[in-house]
Amino acid sequence: MSLLADAFTILAILAGIGFFAAGTAGLLRFPDTASRLHALTKADHLGLGLVVIGLLPQAGSLANTLRLLAVWALVLVASAAAGPMLATLTRRAEPET
Amino acid sequence: MATAAILRFTLLAALWIVLAGHGWTDLPVGLVAAAFATWASLSLLPPSQLRLRPHSCMVLLLRFPWAALRAGLQVARLALDPRVSPTPSEVIYVPRLPPGRARDAFLAYASLLPGTLPAGPDVSGGIVVHALNGTAGVLESLAEEEARFARAFRLDD
Repeated sequence: MSLLADAFTILAILAGIGFFAAGTAGLLRFPDTASRLHALTKADHLGLGLVVIGLLPQAGSLANTLRLLAVWALVLVASAAAGPMLATLTRRAEPET
Repeated sequence: MATAAILRFTLLAALWIVLAGHGWTDLPVGLVAAAFATWASLSLLPPSQLRLRPHSCMVLLLRFPWAALRAGLQVARLALDPRVSPTPSEVIYVPRLPPGRARDAFLAYASLLPGTLPAGPDVSGGIVVHALNGTAGVLESLAEEEARFARAFRLDD
């Protein structure tokens, strides 16, 4: 059972790292600031979500489980608030894109 | 107001305890932080009645991981596959929700959905939405999501 949990953790975290890498590739490759915001928010959310899901079997206690989920939720809420604000400011600063 | 303040303080203090633990030495700092956060929360978002449809809320909540997965996969494909590249564009979306908190909450939610990022108001009264990969289906999908959002929070009565 522990081996299964460890394997799940490794797979989920590797997948999460893959999405973080994709987000970073998007940051470098995408042509405009708003597209880079898509990369940094959407791919990284999924990456963080997979890392959190992967760590849940290792959490060991309800407190640690809640802490991991709270970190994920706070990141989602913060970027849902900040993403549109940054996109709005960018559009004002770069009206041609 | 007092009930809202007590409820928000309790939730924020609970969030502090979840994040920082419940050690007696840290707790006073957490309670002071929760008090300031409650004050900021009440100033920025005065209490109002939140009406939910539990079933529609659950649908919204359960659909979210699927939307996050599709959004992440779309970005990953566009970022990593050298044969494709994003075709960013902007569309004007006119939400059915009136300007205000409900519309702002929906736009924040929409920023987490695949391919769309609200980017501020347009002169015509609509919202400029940055679409990552073309505009096909963007307006329809936003309208569907808005209808789901409005159903969940009883904004469509």
